[in-house]
Amino acid sequence: MPEAVQATKAIWDQNAAPRHRIQWCPGCGDYAVLNAVKAAVTSLELTPAELLLVAGIGCSGQIRNYLNGNAFYGTHGGALAYALGAKMANPELTVLVMAGDGDTLAIGIENFVHACRRDPDITLVLMNNGVYGLTKGQDSPSAGLGQPDWKPSEEHPPFIDPVEVALTCGATFIAQGFSGDPKHAAQLIVEGVRHRGFAVINDFSPCVTYNKVNTYDWFRAHVETVPASHDPSSKAAAWDLVRDFQRRGKLPTGIVYRAARAKGDGAKRLPTWPDELARADVEPLVKRLR
Amino acid sequence: MTVNQMKLLIGGVQLRDGVSTVADLVGRILTRAGLHVLGVERNFASTIYGAHQYDPLVVSARPLVSWGDRAIDVLAGLEYDSNPDAPQQPNRDTIRQHAGDLVDGGVLLYDSSGGPVETGALQARGVQVFAIPARDIALRELKKEVVKNLIMTGALFRLLEFDQDERWLRRFLEERFGRKGAAVVDLNLEAARRGRALVERILEDRRQSSVGYRIEAVRDAAPAVYVSGNEALSIGAIEAGVRFYAGYPITPASGILEYMETYLPGYGGRVLQGANERESIRAALGASVAGVLSMVGTSGPGLSLKVEEIGVSGTTETPLVIVDAMRAGPSTGMPTKAEQGDLTLVTGGGHGEIPRIVLAPSTIDECYTLMRDAVRLSDRYQCPVFFLTDLNLSEGRMTVPESVFRPGRASIARHVAAEHDVRGERYLRYRLTDSGISPRLIPGQRGGISKISSTEHDEFGFVTTDPAMRVAQMDKRMRKLHTYLREDAKAPQVYGEVGRGLTLVGWGGTKLALLDARERLRRDGIEAAVVHFTHLWPFPTHLAKPLLDTGGPVVVCEHNYFGQFADLIQAHCLVPTRRVLKYNGRTLYPSEVVRAVREVTHNGAVAVRLGGKDPVMVEVSIDA
Repeated sequence: MPEAVQATKAIWDQNAAPRHRIQWCPGCGDYAVLNAVKAAVTSLELTPAELLLVAGIGCSGQIRNYLNGNAFYGTHGGALAYALGAKMANPELTVLVMAGDGDTLAIGIENFVHACRRDPDITLVLMNNGVYGLTKGQDSPSAGLGQPDWKPSEEHPPFIDPVEVALTCGATFIAQGFSGDPKHAAQLIVEGVRHRGFAVINDFSPCVTYNKVNTYDWFRAHVETVPASHDPSSKAAAWDLVRDFQRRGKLPTGIVYRAARAKGDGAKRLPTWPDELARADVEPLVKRLR
Repeated sequence: MTVNQMKLLIGGVQLRDGVSTVADLVGRILTRAGLHVLGVERNFASTIYGAHQYDPLVVSARPLVSWGDRAIDVLAGLEYDSNPDAPQQPNRDTIRQHAGDLVDGGVLLYDSSGGPVETGALQARGVQVFAIPARDIALRELKKEVVKNLIMTGALFRLLEFDQDERWLRRFLEERFGRKGAAVVDLNLEAARRGRALVERILEDRRQSSVGYRIEAVRDAAPAVYVSGNEALSIGAIEAGVRFYAGYPITPASGILEYMETYLPGYGGRVLQGANERESIRAALGASVAGVLSMVGTSGPGLSLKVEEIGVSGTTETPLVIVDAMRAGPSTGMPTKAEQGDLTLVTGGGHGEIPRIVLAPSTIDECYTLMRDAVRLSDRYQCPVFFLTDLNLSEGRMTVPESVFRPGRASIARHVAAEHDVRGERYLRYRLTDSGISPRLIPGQRGGISKISSTEHDEFGFVTTDPAMRVAQMDKRMRKLHTYLREDAKAPQVYGEVGRGLTLVGWGGTKLALLDARERLRRDGIEAAVVHFTHLWPFPTHLAKPLLDTGGPVVVCEHNYFGQFADLIQAHCLVPTRRVLKYNGRTLYPSEVVRAVREVTHNGAVAVRLGGKDPVMVEVSIDA
């Protein structure tokens, strides 16, 4: 790594919990996500002040304190909705949502679905491990991946594929990565942030403690790079790709779908400071009541 | 002859008969003519079409007159069909439900297109009945059914001897329909003339020129507007600097969402209709994190869903104004009826403890004036500020002098840190301070970063469970309440002299009834003061106790079962309270307050429950 880049990268270690305070299990996929995010924000040449990390609840959400940058941490399932409001208020912020599969696909699925529809210019890194790690290993909505013998029932329904949900609901950038390849994940995050619209990056991040099925080795055996021939701008091609990989029991890594943003990019920062608010005269509002 | 002091009631079939159209037209025109109109007792159903709807309007030459009692002087029934085969249909409900409230000598005007209604008993006690076939004329002669509303309005104006030269109505119609062309204005004016003529003919037949009620335009009256509480508070919020509003459709707060959607973008703001109650408050919190003054509006059921986020606002110290337009609960309750049942929820709702401020305007003009405080306090104290209205205040309308609105005022002064404020020392989002208020850099500003956390945190914002830091942070947050009580809490409004007799205590929308009751009690020789609270929480003990701890009976009047505010008074002032409680979905009538006071003073009642099958239910206890 060139020296200059290394120096900039060090910025992201400031204002962060020291490495020995990181509370992830040794080998957790989230370390790779952290490295990928740091690499991405470094190569995007962002400053910590202009970054807003909105974290979900779960092991994944701890990431907000493991790197520099503004962060917001609220309720379980709420991250995308906070992020939506923050981005609407100040489009100049780079808003990165870091949330797990429980947060995004169970308690927060309502926000995931509507964020796809609303298509705000924010990036979601869905740190997907198939379990509720922080509460010691209960099934999440993505549990069941890689288990062809899974017998669906009311108690244990089949897993949700966030890529399919995102394609159905209107997200305009959909990609999939894997913690075994953080460099690639970093590229996806860079692309996601650069994309003008809602970017969903489903990043498989193995839980080494509670998920004995979807291990690094399992993922290595099942991920397959999206072929160069794939046209991500075509939704039909994206669906074909998803179905083709499903048929073959594989997981595509790379950009599955990327559409030009339909709406304009003219969003402005909302009036915040006294000089911006001073011009508000409500007389026309009173007049209308006459 | 009664001039410029009367209660009208306009009723009809919801959506079909244009009850709110006529009521608002009358309210607006009379307001322009210099009168004061109070239309807060709006009664509509939680369905769209077909139910009975009515709007009582009190007209007066004086401001801030109460809505009075049930008694009405002039009743206008806009529904036209009498259907003997289906008497349960609400097609004559105006007469059926309200004619009994007409005073002797009062006036009944109704649309007789579907046939006449039996009114012999009413006429026997002096009620003057005017049956005019408004819909028939609209359909047959004017070829447009909707102008029946103007026929009825014209008839009403003639009965009240108002606007004989059409001046006010013409101007109003020209402004409202001018865009649609002169023909539309003329058609509506013609309809009003027909209504006038019909009444004129009946009066001539009866050799009468007047019904004993008259409305006269007030000369040189200060300009005023006829405004709803939702509109007034929205204007107040926009003026104070709110630029992000989020809501989810819910009666009676939807009016705020609609108003904001129409007007806030014109001030550079954005409005989000959330996919649900939680998305709306979360987005509003996100916008607030990004530095924008932010507000949500909802009613009880929506607030219950938002409770988790109230804790987020409190512990992350993210400012937010939360309007709760209260309606009758619990659960879905009575969606179109007012109540004051959410006080306990807003003062204590949620797990754990947070600093929060609760304000409640008592009249529609205060919806505007107090909102500025709500926005300012949320920004200064970085906590949730609740703004409690109720269905009557929110959806009701009142004449408010334009001088109350003070256009041209700057927004509130923002309480956020700038880069130079945090230079020299490490910026700590949750710095321990004497006031409890920490410096707040907005993400995006240089000078530091904010780790904003709903998990307990240290000064920087990192997670901690360290006992000492936990206590320090909890105490810091709660110190904001002390700072608020010392520097910003406002004393209750006092009418009359406390300590000379009994004290009537209220909060929120009951004030006008209490003031009316006080006048009536004085006329009966009973000395009473009214102490009305707008700053409810944290309870301003130091301001309230001297007013309430005077030895005389303290009678707290509110719209809920338990006496939620009375509980606060007892807990904080250590003063016993007597309670007047009404939770039947209808407004508090001054006569009920007077009667309840008698029960308290003569019969030793500790609680008086109003508005059930028996008009008064009294509880006596020895421990009060």
